[in-house]
Amino acid sequence: MLLDPGFLIVQTLNGLQLSMLLFLLSIGLSVVFGMMNFINLAHGTLYMVGAYLALSSVRWFDSYWVALVLAPLGVALIGAVFYAVLLRHMQRQSPMRQVLVTFGLIFVGFDAVRMVWGALPHTIPIPAALDGSVTVFGEIYPTYRLFIIALGVTVLIALHFGLERTRLGAVVRAGVDDRRMVAALGIDVERAFFLVFCLGCWLAGLAGVVSAPVFSIFPGMDMSILILTLIVVVVGGPGSLKGAVVGSFVIGMVDTYGQVLAPELARVTIYALMAAVLLVRPQGLFPVSQAH
Amino acid sequence: MIGRDPLHLPVAAALVIAAGVAWYGGDFFRHEVLAEIAIYAILAMSLDLLVGYAGLVSLGHAAFFAAGAYATAACTVFFGWPVSAATVAAVGCAAALAAVAGVFVIRVSGVFFIMITLALGQMVYAYFFKASEFGKDDGMAGIPRPDLSMIGLDATDPQVFSALTLIAAFGVWALLRTVVGSPFGAMLVAIHRNESRVRALGCPVPRYKLAAFVLAGAIGGFAGSLIAQHSGFVSPDLGFWTVSGEVLIMVIIGGMGSLVGAALGAVVMVLLRHELSHRAFWEAIGLPADLASYWQFVMGLIFIAIVLLAGDGLYGRLLTTWRRLRRS
Amino acid sequence: MNGKRIMAAALAAALLAGTTAAANAQSDIKIGVLLPYSGVFGGLGKDQDAAIEMGFDDFGREVADRGITLVKADTESKPNAGLAAVKKLILRDKVDLVVGIISSGVLAAVRDYVHGSETPLIVTNAGNVDITGERCSPWIVRTSFSNAQIVRDMGPWMAGEGYGTAFLMAFDYAAGHQMMDTFREGFEASGGRIVGEAYPPLGETKDFGPYLAQVKAADPDTVFVFFAGGPAIKFAKEWAAFGMKDEVQLSGAGWLNSALYVKKQGADAVGTLGALNYYPSIDTPENHAWQEKFRAAHGRDGSEFGVAAYDSARLIVSALEATGGNTDDKAAIVKAMHAVEFTGPRGPLRIDPMTNNVIQNIYVAQVEARGDSVAAAIRHTFPAVQDPPNGCTL
Repeated sequence: MLLDPGFLIVQTLNGLQLSMLLFLLSIGLSVVFGMMNFINLAHGTLYMVGAYLALSSVRWFDSYWVALVLAPLGVALIGAVFYAVLLRHMQRQSPMRQVLVTFGLIFVGFDAVRMVWGALPHTIPIPAALDGSVTVFGEIYPTYRLFIIALGVTVLIALHFGLERTRLGAVVRAGVDDRRMVAALGIDVERAFFLVFCLGCWLAGLAGVVSAPVFSIFPGMDMSILILTLIVVVVGGPGSLKGAVVGSFVIGMVDTYGQVLAPELARVTIYALMAAVLLVRPQGLFPVSQAH
Repeated sequence: MIGRDPLHLPVAAALVIAAGVAWYGGDFFRHEVLAEIAIYAILAMSLDLLVGYAGLVSLGHAAFFAAGAYATAACTVFFGWPVSAATVAAVGCAAALAAVAGVFVIRVSGVFFIMITLALGQMVYAYFFKASEFGKDDGMAGIPRPDLSMIGLDATDPQVFSALTLIAAFGVWALLRTVVGSPFGAMLVAIHRNESRVRALGCPVPRYKLAAFVLAGAIGGFAGSLIAQHSGFVSPDLGFWTVSGEVLIMVIIGGMGSLVGAALGAVVMVLLRHELSHRAFWEAIGLPADLASYWQFVMGLIFIAIVLLAGDGLYGRLLTTWRRLRRS
Repeated sequence: MNGKRIMAAALAAALLAGTTAAANAQSDIKIGVLLPYSGVFGGLGKDQDAAIEMGFDDFGREVADRGITLVKADTESKPNAGLAAVKKLILRDKVDLVVGIISSGVLAAVRDYVHGSETPLIVTNAGNVDITGERCSPWIVRTSFSNAQIVRDMGPWMAGEGYGTAFLMAFDYAAGHQMMDTFREGFEASGGRIVGEAYPPLGETKDFGPYLAQVKAADPDTVFVFFAGGPAIKFAKEWAAFGMKDEVQLSGAGWLNSALYVKKQGADAVGTLGALNYYPSIDTPENHAWQEKFRAAHGRDGSEFGVAAYDSARLIVSALEATGGNTDDKAAIVKAMHAVEFTGPRGPLRIDPMTNNVIQNIYVAQVEARGDSVAAAIRHTFPAVQDPPNGCTL
């Protein structure tokens, strides 16, 4: 199979597409961890809510593109409310407690989508402009999946420049390195946290929308993606943008190829990979120096 | 909560009395629930040793629960061993698993520890899910309960079996209480509080962490053995990460670092789950019975509320209240 | 396996007092409904719940002056929770019969307990082969199907239609393997060849893309799959998107193109072949009447899940009428079920006394475009398909 160029092309594109999806999810999670030192276990729930909001937008406005704009904003709004109501007041408490609150939210979120949208699976149609397939190096490949890859690359580039060139980016980079130092410089860290958290939620919502036409939407879609995302973050090194990129790529590829080449190990490969990485590098591939 | 803990004996006594009263004159169903509570209390207390004392927050504790359950199933169904021997074997298997896995997992800490134990749990789950010798995802059935005919009792009677599990839970509590009161327990707490200082004093920290991990795993395996005997059936979902999560919730709700808090958490969780998923409960309090199918929603909210309002759990809250009362 | 029997006997002895003492000719007949109202199969549970209610509405909520009360319990789609729920029904609510169960995991978990308690259980979905085979019980009757029953005749039929090579794909769990193994047997015996197979891990597959790349490389005449629910929708859509639709015939156990999912697959599903015990397009007056009623109540096509639940209610009421509303003698109720025969929405059916599994028609259907919608049209009927005893000695 590995000698079949068609297989390699299609499979590598599949891997890239999963990598990009994981990147959209892991980057927000990772940067929030870097700045605020807590892992949002409800990140997968945000992804799921993004997909469901897309479903509703498509029903009301009959347009994927409206959904692509509205649903991530809706998720960001939910994130903002969550931050304002709960997280902001928990800043001084142990990070573990914040993690536990988000853990409780998984249960709440799961049943909440069942109440609102029911338990049967749904899908939304692929937008007409991206429906169908194109030929890549002689292989038929769905156009929409190429769109996901392109979108991921775009977000990656935008984030890179945002972090390097903007003031917020500078605060974030500094905040990941040493939070107290930034606060001591008189910068409103609180506001930066808030914006970064909302951006992370927006990206999770975006991931939910773009994956909705490819994967079916159902209660429980949050958990499988959450665990994969957490693994990406841990493998890459929490807090590191580079780590999120490389981690997404490695996990996306290993998962995609591993499923087919080592089906007996399909459930184990990713976990074993993470365990191996942690044994060699207990802080992940790209550890962020934890000065605080 | 670690340190001076003047309430654990009265609360433990209260739990024992409550269990006794509930058990006495209970019907079949109540005995079933009591056994379930006792088993989860054992599991939660073993996790509390890790979380509350050693400071190792594990999201993979169900791995030992499942390992103990499957070991019991294998020994009784395949080899025809008596249940007592199978229970010992189950504890041994879980301890061995914990020893092997522990060598790796204790090298990391904090959120990494959560992740690597989660991975451990999922690997064990995946193994049982795929293992055709253990019936794959359908699991294994036909696990007997201990033969007590020598003393004239029948363990298949829920009344007898629930008494057995309650006694076991009490025994585990006494054992763990001894452990955390020993120099070993004091060392775990010291490592939790300031690992680098303890290390600087020349103490072999990894060895202590490993010992705690193995002990917790062994007791988790014991709980697994009991759940296998309780339901007469094992399936991979015993090892699923949500089970680990639920046990962690028990420890948090009850209050970590006191053992008795974990047991209290198990009582609350099991009862809540039974009531919230019971349609008659919702009808009785005048709300739509359909809420019973959304019990996870309600439980999630309760959990969040407890984390927010009583960060030290129910037992911690009790302790604070008691201290305040005594001061005034 | 000896321990199992001892255990069951002991359980039975322990529980008999609890269950029979509660039965009382004057009181209501209590029927436990054991379905997943939450968890992954929550949607299917509600579908069957609605159909069971509809069934008792239609066939009577009273037998011989005794009312029928439904007591519902949630399996949460998890084996251990299902076992706890069935214990609750039998011990706490003291039900006379239990009806329900969607997932094979839950059925496997409750089997010994139900068997030991000697409470009749009418299974409305879960298709574990061994429950009406090696591990059959005089107390467990199934109105839905066995996994093997659905696909057994499909192998020879596909081979006869000229498909020489097949690629098998299902999730990696017991039901998936049972379906694929049964298909393989029939297909190979009729001269077909299996050129590849893939078993993605259940519940963790986010993407079929990697497996489709594998199928492409194997280049079979047909791909035979077993997927239901969300994955069935997803699979058909990706199948089309990867350009496989015009090159390889997609076929499978009929949940692939079942009523619940086919409209969501839309045009991508056109051409798909499936084998199932029910399709909404079955052209009989019984089915038309039922579909009309179901659509009026729920605004969508009734599915095979609904039919199995509806027929179960009918079977229960008929059997209880035969025993004159007496629920003390549980064995007599099951015996009465063996004598019940009727034509439901899916066609004629009865319970096989040899295995307690249902004997029913299996339909092969192909999805075709109808206006701007799609529907599965019946292409072939295997009449009165009956499972061999498979080691069951009832």
